[in-house]
Amino acid sequence: MFKSTKNMQSEMMDRLTEDVGGFNNASTADDVTIYYEVVPSNYLETLIWAEADRLAGLNVDDANFKSERDVVKEEFRQSVLTPPYGRFEFLLQQKSFLEHPYKRPTIGNIEDLDAASLHDVQEFHSTYYRPDNVTLVVVGDFDAKQLDVWVDKYFGPVAKPDRPLPRVQVTEPPRKSEVRFTEYGINDLPAVGLTFLTPGVADPDTDALDVAAAILGAGESSRLYHALVYDQQLAAEVSAIAESREDASLFVVTAVLSEGKKPEDIERSLLTEIKKLQDKPVLQSELDKAKNQLITNQLRERETNEGKAQALGEAAVLLKDPQRANTDLARLRSVTAADVQRVMQKYFNSSNRLVLYYLPESSKSGGVK
Amino acid sequence: MFVLCFLVLLNLVVSAQTQTTPPPPSAPRSVTFPKPVEQTLANGLRVIVVERHDTPLVTASVVVKNGGEVDPLELAGVADLTANLLSKDTTTRTATGIAEEIESLGGELESNARWDSTNISVGVMSDKTASAMAILADVVRRPTFKTDEIERLRQQYIDTLTLSLDEPGSIARFVGAKVLYGDGLYGHPLQGTLESLKRISRPDIVKIHRLYYRPDNAILVIGGDINAANGFSLAKRFFGDWPKPVYRLPALPAVNKADNQTSGRVVVIDKPDAGQAAVYLIRRGIARKDPDYYRGIVTNSVLSGYSGRLNQEIRIKRGLSYGAGSSLEARRDIGPFVATAQTKNESGSQVAGLLVQEVERLAVSSPTENELTPRKAALIGEFSRSLETVNGLVGRVSALALYGLSLDEINHYIENVQLINPSDIPKFAGTKLDAKASDIIIVGNSKAFLAELQKRYGNVEVIPFAQLDLNTRLLRKKQAQ
Repeated sequence: MFKSTKNMQSEMMDRLTEDVGGFNNASTADDVTIYYEVVPSNYLETLIWAEADRLAGLNVDDANFKSERDVVKEEFRQSVLTPPYGRFEFLLQQKSFLEHPYKRPTIGNIEDLDAASLHDVQEFHSTYYRPDNVTLVVVGDFDAKQLDVWVDKYFGPVAKPDRPLPRVQVTEPPRKSEVRFTEYGINDLPAVGLTFLTPGVADPDTDALDVAAAILGAGESSRLYHALVYDQQLAAEVSAIAESREDASLFVVTAVLSEGKKPEDIERSLLTEIKKLQDKPVLQSELDKAKNQLITNQLRERETNEGKAQALGEAAVLLKDPQRANTDLARLRSVTAADVQRVMQKYFNSSNRLVLYYLPESSKSGGVK
Repeated sequence: MFVLCFLVLLNLVVSAQTQTTPPPPSAPRSVTFPKPVEQTLANGLRVIVVERHDTPLVTASVVVKNGGEVDPLELAGVADLTANLLSKDTTTRTATGIAEEIESLGGELESNARWDSTNISVGVMSDKTASAMAILADVVRRPTFKTDEIERLRQQYIDTLTLSLDEPGSIARFVGAKVLYGDGLYGHPLQGTLESLKRISRPDIVKIHRLYYRPDNAILVIGGDINAANGFSLAKRFFGDWPKPVYRLPALPAVNKADNQTSGRVVVIDKPDAGQAAVYLIRRGIARKDPDYYRGIVTNSVLSGYSGRLNQEIRIKRGLSYGAGSSLEARRDIGPFVATAQTKNESGSQVAGLLVQEVERLAVSSPTENELTPRKAALIGEFSRSLETVNGLVGRVSALALYGLSLDEINHYIENVQLINPSDIPKFAGTKLDAKASDIIIVGNSKAFLAELQKRYGNVEVIPFAQLDLNTRLLRKKQAQ
C-alpha cells in the first residue's frame, strides 16, 4: 500500500507527508488495519484525496509484491525469531485460540508468506478495501463543514462493490480444561506464560480486567513484581496484560526466570498471587493506584492528535460507537474492589487456563545452563 | 522513456471522472503556543509556569543549570551519577518508598544530567500536582547518597558502558568528542569512562550536589493543566525554604579549548571483529546564543533526515548504509557538528569521502527553493509535534530558559525557520562549517579500508581498540614500562 495507486506514483504518499513536515505509517492488528498520516492542517484536503485514491485502487506488480514480501519476512525474523522471547509471545497467542482466526498472529510465518501470491494480495484488497468497511477519523485544526465537503467529493465516487463483505463467523469455544505446552527456543533463561480466555472488548468486564492487570503487573510496587522479583527473587521479569480483541480477548501473565530457578516454582507463585486476588478484595489504596496508572497512561496516549485519532478509531470500529472514547475514563473510575474480585473469580479458574513453558534449547539435550 | 509516457497517458484516460492530481494546500492556519509567565523567589529560584488546559496533566521540572560539563576531568560521569542517585534515598523517603509513591500517583519521575544542565521532572494528572511536587522537592533537596546505592549504580554504569564499547557507533561518538574537545568542557562521555567511574567516591558526588543544586542555580518549570497563581504558590510551598548557600556559585568552566586546537585529525580505531565501520565527521558547530542559530539548524536539515542529502547520497543512491545523518547541537558553549554513517568495513574510506564532500558542497552553492522548502517543513513539523505533549512543551521552555533566551521564542520558531533563504545556506556553511577544519574518525576493521583512506588523507592515526584510552586526547594508553 506504500506503492503506487491509480493517480499516485510510487512513494508519492511519502512526498505528500514527509515533504510538508509530517509522516505516514500503517499497521496490521488482529481486528483492524490502520493507515495514518500526520500533516499540517492546511494539507488536509490533499490527504483526503490521497486516501480516497488509495482506497479506490492499488497498483501492485510482481516485483514490488516480492520486495514487500521480503520486507515482511525480515520483520518476522526481526520481531519473532531474533528477540530471545519473540517466539514465546507468538506461541502464546497461537496456542491460546483453537478455532478463531486469532490463532494466526498477524505477522504470519515464513511458509505462509512464501505461499502467498500477487493474486492473493489483489484479492484481499478488492474484498476488504471498500468504503463500507472503512472508517475515516480526522483529528486536529480544521473546519468540520469543509471536511464534509471534501469527504463527499473524494470518497463519494469510490464505488461500493455488489458482493457481500465477508465477516468472521467463527466463535472461539469456551475452554473446558487446562492445557499445557512445553516449547524450546533461543532464550538463555526459561519463561512461563499463562493465558486465560476472556470476552471481547465490548464486554462490561473489560475495565475490571484492565484494573486487575495493573494491580498484578504495573510497576515495581505491583503484586507480581513485589512477590516474584523483589521478595522471592524467582523471576527477572514479570508482566500481566489484558489484551483486548473484538471477538475474544486474552489475559496474559508471563515471567522470565532468574538464573537457576524452576518453572514449576514460578508457576506456583503466579497462581498464588492470582488466588489472593480471588480470595480477598484489594485495598482501596491499591485500587486507586491501579486506576491512577491506567488513567494517566490513557491521558498521555491521547495528548497528540495521532493518539486521539487512534482512540476514536478503536471506539468507532471495535465498540461501534465513537462516543465510547469519551466515557473510557469514567468507566475505569467506576471499577470497584468487588468488581476486580468478581472477574478474578469468574475467569481465572484452572479449566480456563493455558500454561506454556518456554525453555532454552540447550536444556533439551540435558545440557546445564 | 516512451513507454513511461504512454502509461501516464493511459492512466489519465482511465480515471477521467476523478481528480488525478493532488489538490494543493490551502493557506497555513496560524498557531499560537501558550505564553510562559515567570517569577523569581527570594532564594533566587526562577519559576516558570506555562498553562495549557486541554488535557488534565501537569509536568514539573527542576533544571539545574549545570550538567556533565562540570565533571572534573578525572571524574567523568559524576554529574549524571549524582542525578540518578537523587531518587534512591532521601532523608525522609527510601528508594522503594519513592517508587511506590510515584506509582500510586500514576506518575513518572526522571532525572539525568545532560550537557549544560541536569533535569529532574515529575509528570502526573493535574489533581496530583501537589503530591508530586513534594516528592520532586525532596529528591532534589534532600538526597542522602547511600553508599550501597552508589555501588549498585556504579556497577550498572560500568555494565552499560562495557556494552557501548562493543558498538563501533558509540566508540566513534566517544572518540569524536575527545578529539574535538580534548580536556575541554564536552570532551568526555557523559556517563563516564571505565577508569573515571571506578574513581568516583561519595564525597565527589556530595560535592557536585552541594556546589550546583542550589536555588540560585536552578529553574523550576511547571507546565500543563495548572493556573499560574497556583503554580507559583506550589513553588513557594515546596521550594521557598530551599536555602541559598552563602558560598559563591563556582564560575563556569573556562572557554572551550576546542577554539585553539588545530584540527584535521584522521583517526582509525582498529576493531577487527567489528561487523560494520562507523564513520564520523566532527567539527565545531555553534553556541545556542549564536545569532546564526536558525541558519545553522536549517543548514543542518539540508544534510539530515530521511530525504536529506547524506541519506540521498549514501543510502538511496549508493546503498552504502541503512541510514546517514548529521546533527548540529548548539550548547552554552560551542557544541559539535557531526555527520555520520555506518557502513560495511570495505566502504569506510568511501563513506568518509562522501561525508566530507557533502559538507563541502553546502558552502559552494545554494540549494534550490524546491530542495529547501521540504527540509524547512520537516523542521517545523517536528517542532510542532513536539509541542503536542506537556512533556514536550516543558522541555522546549526549559531549554530556552536554560540559555537565557526569550521564553516566547516558541511562538517565533516557525517564522524564524521560514525566513531562511537558499542563499543563507552557503553563507552559514562557508563561515561556520568548513569541512577542512573537521576531524574524521572511523571505527572498524581497518584492514578493509586503511590503504584507501591513507591514499585519500595521508596522515592517518591508527589505534588498536585494545590500546584506546578515552581519558586522553592522545587516545592511547601509556605503554607499560
